This record gives sequence, C-alpha cells and structure tokens, in this order.
Amino acid sequence: MDDLIKRAKELIETSAVKVVIGYEQGTGNKTRALFVEKSEDADKLIFDSRCVQNLAAYVTKKEVKEKGKMAIAATLPVMRSIIQLASEFQVNDNNLLVLGITPESKLIEFGNLVEVETFVHQYTIEIDARNKEMLDKLAKMTQAERWKFWIDELAPCFKCYACRAACPMCYCHQCTVDFNQPQWIPVPSHELGNLEWHIMRAIHLTGRCIDCDACYNACPLSIPINLLTKKMLEDAKEHFGGYQPALKGDHLMSTYKPDDKENFIH
Amino acid sequence: MSKIGVFVCHCGENISATVDCAKVAETAGNYDGVAYSVDYKYMCSDPGQNLIKSAIKEKGLTGVVVASCSPRMHEPTFRKACAEAGLNPFMCEMANLREHCSWVHEKGEATTEKAIDLVRILVEKVKYNHSLSEIKVPVTKTALVIGGGIAGIQASLDIANTGHKVILIERDPSIGGHMSQLSETFPTLDCSQCILTPRMVEVAQHPNITLYTYAELESLEGFIGNFKAKIRRKSKSLDEKLCTGCGLCTTKCPAKKIPSEFNEGLGKRTAIYVPFPQAVPNKPVIDRINCTYYIKGKCKICEIVCPTGAIRFDQEDQIMEVEVGAIVIATGFTVKQPDFFPEYGFGKYPDVITGLQFERLASASGPTLGEIRRPSDGKIPEKIVFLACAGSRDPAKGIPYCSKICCMYIAKHAMLYQHKVHGGKSYVFYMDIRAGGKMYEEFVRRAIEDDGVNYIRGRVSRIYEKNGKLIVDGADTLLNAMPVEIEADMVVLATAGVANEGAEELAQKLHISYDPYKFFAEAHPKLKPVETNTAGIFLAGACQAPRDIPESVAMASGAAVKVAGLFSQDELTREPIIAVVNRQAPPVYSSCVGCFLCISTCPYQAIEKEEIKNRNGEVIKSMAKVNPGLCQGCGTCVAFCRTKSIDIQGYTHEQMYTEVMALLNEY
Repeated sequence: MDDLIKRAKELIETSAVKVVIGYEQGTGNKTRALFVEKSEDADKLIFDSRCVQNLAAYVTKKEVKEKGKMAIAATLPVMRSIIQLASEFQVNDNNLLVLGITPESKLIEFGNLVEVETFVHQYTIEIDARNKEMLDKLAKMTQAERWKFWIDELAPCFKCYACRAACPMCYCHQCTVDFNQPQWIPVPSHELGNLEWHIMRAIHLTGRCIDCDACYNACPLSIPINLLTKKMLEDAKEHFGGYQPALKGDHLMSTYKPDDKENFIH
Repeated sequence: MSKIGVFVCHCGENISATVDCAKVAETAGNYDGVAYSVDYKYMCSDPGQNLIKSAIKEKGLTGVVVASCSPRMHEPTFRKACAEAGLNPFMCEMANLREHCSWVHEKGEATTEKAIDLVRILVEKVKYNHSLSEIKVPVTKTALVIGGGIAGIQASLDIANTGHKVILIERDPSIGGHMSQLSETFPTLDCSQCILTPRMVEVAQHPNITLYTYAELESLEGFIGNFKAKIRRKSKSLDEKLCTGCGLCTTKCPAKKIPSEFNEGLGKRTAIYVPFPQAVPNKPVIDRINCTYYIKGKCKICEIVCPTGAIRFDQEDQIMEVEVGAIVIATGFTVKQPDFFPEYGFGKYPDVITGLQFERLASASGPTLGEIRRPSDGKIPEKIVFLACAGSRDPAKGIPYCSKICCMYIAKHAMLYQHKVHGGKSYVFYMDIRAGGKMYEEFVRRAIEDDGVNYIRGRVSRIYEKNGKLIVDGADTLLNAMPVEIEADMVVLATAGVANEGAEELAQKLHISYDPYKFFAEAHPKLKPVETNTAGIFLAGACQAPRDIPESVAMASGAAVKVAGLFSQDELTREPIIAVVNRQAPPVYSSCVGCFLCISTCPYQAIEKEEIKNRNGEVIKSMAKVNPGLCQGCGTCVAFCRTKSIDIQGYTHEQMYTEVMALLNEY
C-alpha cells in the first residue's frame, strides 16, 4: 500500500488533515488501528486481508474528532458505515476525507461523501453463504429450540461490551444500558440481562447495521451475535424493501410512507 | 415522603357490583406513602369531589389517585377538583376500575385483586409525578374552508359574519357545488338556484372572505390555532384582473363538444368555459386537457377575440402558503356513476340516467330548458320509472348504508315529472320510504295522493331494451312478490351517494380519520358531530355522510360556531403532556447524540435541530429540540430514541418503569 503511505504523508504534511486512520501491524499476527499524526508514522501503515476491523468506529470518538479533520483508509464496509453515520449527522465533508480501498485493493480518494455513496451503491449488501446457512437452520427450528439455542449461546457473555465498542453505529455517549434511572436493561450478566442486552442491540441496529461483522470479530468468546443483526437485515429486506445506507435516505425504521403496503396505518 | 390519597368510586353499581370497593380502599390504605384511602358511591358528584378537596387540605396530600372510570370523561373533573384544593392538577391520576375491570369481569375475588393492582400501579406512579403547568399557544384568527358547496358557503358566511377572516377554496371553477345543479328543492319545491345564488354572490363580495376557485389543498402542517396550509391555485390560463367576464371567448372557442360536468354530461361546453351562467366568479377557465391549443399547439382564438387581452397560455399553477387557526372541511360527496349498475343497463342505454341528470333535465337552466326530454331522441317520456336504492342499502354492492336523500328527491322528481308532463305515468320502486324530517312525509304523501305517482314496494332485478322501450322487471312485495313488468320510456336511478374521489388522500393530508366508506369521521357520533379527532379541524355537510341541504347548512353553522368559539380567545391552553429532550450540565449538555432519527419519525413535524454555541458563536453541540406547540405527546420519538434522551412529561421512563415494577413485585 505504497500509494496509501504516500498520500497519508502528503495529507499530514500539507495539513490537509490532522490525522489519518489506518491499520498497522499489531502483536502476534494481528493488525490494529493506527492514527497517523506525524508524517514519519505513515510508514507503519499496512493493508492486507487481515485488516477487517471497522475503522469507522473511531470517527465518532471524541478523542479522535478533537484532533481536527480526519482521513480514513476505508474498505467497503467502512465506507458503508461512513455513509450511514453521515445520514445520522455524525460525520460530514468538513471533518472527514475518505481514502477508499476497493474490494480489488485499489486506492481511490473521494472528493466528497456523495462520491463515496455512489461508489458504495454499486454493491449490494449480501449475507455470506456460511451465515445464510446458519440463519436458515435457525429459521427451521421450533420456537423452543431457537430459544434454547440463544440462551446457550448467550450464557457465557460477561458483558465486556467489546461488541458495542467495535460497532461504528454504537456511538451514543449514553447507551441504553448505561441509562439507570430507571435501569430498563439489567446490567448483570445473567440469563435475562444478557438476552435483553443483545436483543436491544439488534433492534437498535435494524435499518442501520451494514453487516460488517465487527461485533462478532470483537467478541472474545466468539458468540455469533452477528446472526441477530443479519436476521434483522433479512427481515428489513422482506418487510421494508431492503436496505442500503444513503446520505439523504429515508430511515428504514423511522419513516412512514402513505403508500405503505400495510393499510392498517392509514 | 409522599402523602397520597386514594379515592375508590362505586360508580353507583357499575364498579361495586363486581369489585369489592371497600376492600380496594382498605388495601390501598396500607401502601407506603398512602395517607388516606376511602370509597364512595359517586366520586364525580359534588360531595364526592368535596371528599377529595377536603382530604387534600386536611391531610396535606401530595398526590391523588381516583379509582373510578376511564379518564376520557372525568379526568378534567378530578384535576379541576385537585386544583381548587391547591394541588397541582397533574398530581392527580385515574385508575380505570370501570372499563378496564368491573365491566369486563365477573364478580369475584380475582376481579377485586385486579382492581387493587390497578390502584397500586397508579399509587407508585404518582410518587414520581411532578407539577406541570399548561402550555399556552397563540391562535391565528383566520379560518380555511375547503369546498364551496352550500355547506362551505354557509360556514364561510357564518364565520365571516362573526368578524373573522375566511379563506374559501373550491376545486371547480365556480362555487355552488351540487346545490347549484338542482332544479327544485324538497319539501317546498322552491328553485334551488334562486335561493343559492344570492349566497354565492354574498361570499364573493364579503370583505372578510377571500375566495380561491380552481384551487386545492396541497399540504397541511401544524396544529389547532396554528396551521400552515399550502394551496395549489391551478392555472386558469387567465389574468383575472383583466378579464371582465364578457364571455366572448366562450362563444368563439372551436372545441364545443366537451361533455359539461355541470349538466352531468347531458349538455356540451367549450374548452374555455364558465360552468354555468350564474357562476361565481363569472370568469372563464381553460380546460387544458380539451383545449385545441394545448393539444395541437395552435388555435389561440380566445386570445385573439379577448377585448382586454386577459388570456395567459403560459400561466403556471401557483402554490400559496397561508396561516390559519381552524379548518372546516366541506368537500361534499359524489354519486355512483355508470358501470356500477350493469344489471340496470346503466351506461349502455342512454335513457337510464341518474337522479342528478334528471335534476338537469328538470332545471330551467338545463340542456332541455326544463322540459323532461329523454337523452336518446329528445322525446317526452310517457312512462317513467324511478328506482330508489340503486346501490344503497346493498351489502353485495359494498354500500350497506342508506344514502338518505334519495327517498325525498325521488318524490320530488316524480312530482316535477307529473307537473311537467300532463298525462304521463310515473312509477317508483322503493324498499322503504324514509321521509323523516319537517314536512317530509307530507311531501311524499302529496306525490302519491295528489300527483298520482305509483309507488311499488319492491326491487328491480333488471332493465333491458325491447322495441325501443326499457323493460323494467321488478316485484311488488306488498302483493306477495308478484312480478311487475313496466315498459318505460325512461328510467331514473337514485344512485348511492358516496365519498368524493380523493377523500382518502385529503384525510391523510389533514391527519383526520375516516370511516370504511371513506366519509370523514366525526369525533363523536352524537355529541361531537362536527368535530374531527384532530383538534381545530371541523366537518360540514356531505363529506361526513350523505346529507340533505337543511342538514348540511345546520352542520356548517355548527362548525362555524366551533370556529368562532376557538377564535374568541387570543391563546389556547394545552395539556403539558409533551415530549422533552433532556438537558445536562456542560460539557455534556444532553445525552442526545443528534442522530435526528426522531425528526423523521415524528408525525407532527414537532422536532427540530438545536445548536448549542460557545461564547465565540461556534457550534459545540447539535441536538434535538421538541417544539411544545406542535408536539401532541404521542411518544413515538421516545420509543425511537436509543439514548433515552426524550421523555414525555407525565409519562416519563421513570413513571412507566415504576408502574411495571409495581405490577411485577410482590406486595
């Protein structure tokens, strides 16, 4: 990714941006996020197939935002997240420059978010075959079997909230679970608490989740919580005609249209 | 520590027949924070209210739970009683022991247990109640009346005569509506136009009324006292200021064969036209669909002949925004048209016509100048058959209701026919004669007894043509369903009165409800007949259900009084049950993250963006803000907010949670 390093250096040196967010070599065989603020740090930037962390999670963080204009090395899922975040007024052209990395690993610098949106819209969000199979399997279960599946899967969760920290859409300063007057969602990691937390997360992400799997990748116990959001994605497709993040889109869950197929609402 | 008073009402026997009210009061008396608990026969009565008032004063109550009926009727009563005793009215809650418990369950311990639960929920909630004060909003003292038929005309005049401004919009080129099409009116047989046209002129000349014809409602925002309406003024292709209404253009227009809407297709009009001679305003419009210039790109004869140069072919529709405080909907109705009655050959045989078409034939200003001549060959029919309930009261046709006006106008039609065609024979097929109304029954009897109209009780199965006659096959149910066959020259169908086309879309624009037949729904069938469920929007005339002229006028005057009442105050008070976005100390300011999904979810456009700026004027936080004037307290935004940054006053998260926990926890 020599182009990326070169471009990052230019951007920092010309003060076009204050920070470039990308990936660097981490411990072991892992990669981690890198925040380039000095041009010599740009040499640490890498990009390869291991770089799956959704860096868009950082653009809403106060500590990063405070530095000034950001540039971000964005893969397709990251770009989708950015469009969704922009539609929720969290980022805009004034504070974010997107250095896109195409699925063919080519660097494209976008002039503005409208261009990013156009690029993103060339691809539809598809659930991969392995997870699709799992969703079908779950759908075929009886309600009791499915209930047991989730109780068992969620039992070991100890609420480290890594899923929340990794998710670019979980940018709220006060998460519902942090709301304690009253405490709607129980904090303890018991059966009910875990269930309520994960159901709530899936509901809050419906019509917003772009299926990047960051939550699953971040989970230290590899609980397949992404199946919940994937199921919501499928349901959204069935009931609301599909989902594609858009800058000036009608939000899937919050928008009422007079031509809704359900007529009870009229 | 709270000091709560619990007041359990017997509601005569409505509650006490199945609920042990004394036990409810006794149990509630033992709850933490309850300082006083009592049951009484009628809590809403004067002594009942005094019980509450004196307890507030003597025990120093901080909250009140009245366990009685649904809050719909008596919440204002008890809140007022609390306020009179010096307690904030919003510290009073009602547990619905009647509709939610005693009426729907049988007598028994479980029923009393449920009543106790309902009371406990509210006792726990009221501990978290806060004093709230009513919201005051200003009133824009201008009314919008939609529809310029007799109902709209009457409402406009009545409102205007109270000294308030009225904007009247009508989608057709002239006001007048269906009434202007009628020949004579029942039960007096006076000429419809003669009594209507003076009113039409009065509307046009009234200093408080602004009339826009050829105009429709585009959109509506806002709320009672403060609506913002967008009105589309369709292009008339005419400069109305220059036009003198001389009518030269309408005589020279080459497109002369367009079926006239005013004459229900029985006459023809030109492309540039005034719908009828007494039209208000008496200035033409160009019907662009049928105008030679708009079809072929050349003609412009009207422009050449116009002595004042008033024709404007390039005129575009104008969208006008007006602010109004109240709206009267008087959009009227329509009648079922051809193809709905294949069994009666309607649309196939030209001499099978609707009642409205008959009105035009009988009208002196109609296509036959008031002579009853059949459309096919212009002959005077010697035998005429009138069919009541064509579509109406017919569940198979999807119209189970009675169209109400037909019985009367059929009697009138038959009478007019007998008066105009001496020696003619007229028959009426009817199911029942519904002539409820002042002088109505007498009118029908006159038709039967004095004018010799033959009334046959029975329905008609089909109508077909044979040897130039219309054969009407029916049955006389008063003669043991004996078949009746009449060879008629003309048949008039009293086709069902139905909701106007586009009624559903208009209702959605106005956020008002409507019934399964797409007639607009009144707020209460008996006690609020001219109100809708949306405050500040009223109904008049046949847009609510089929109505005759006296009823439409009465409704219009009723709606006008409601509007005048609303306009009699400078400010409206509203309940403070509205959403608020929380505010916190800097540097957080609010837990709202400004995703603004609430803006798209709000059905009342009540949420806006608020920017918090530092001393240098830089924006440091962007968050949601609820406009208290617009918010209706529906709570959709509360459910949507991920950060739980929005609360409904009086129904906060804390209050709701407490209610749920009160139900789940053991006591």
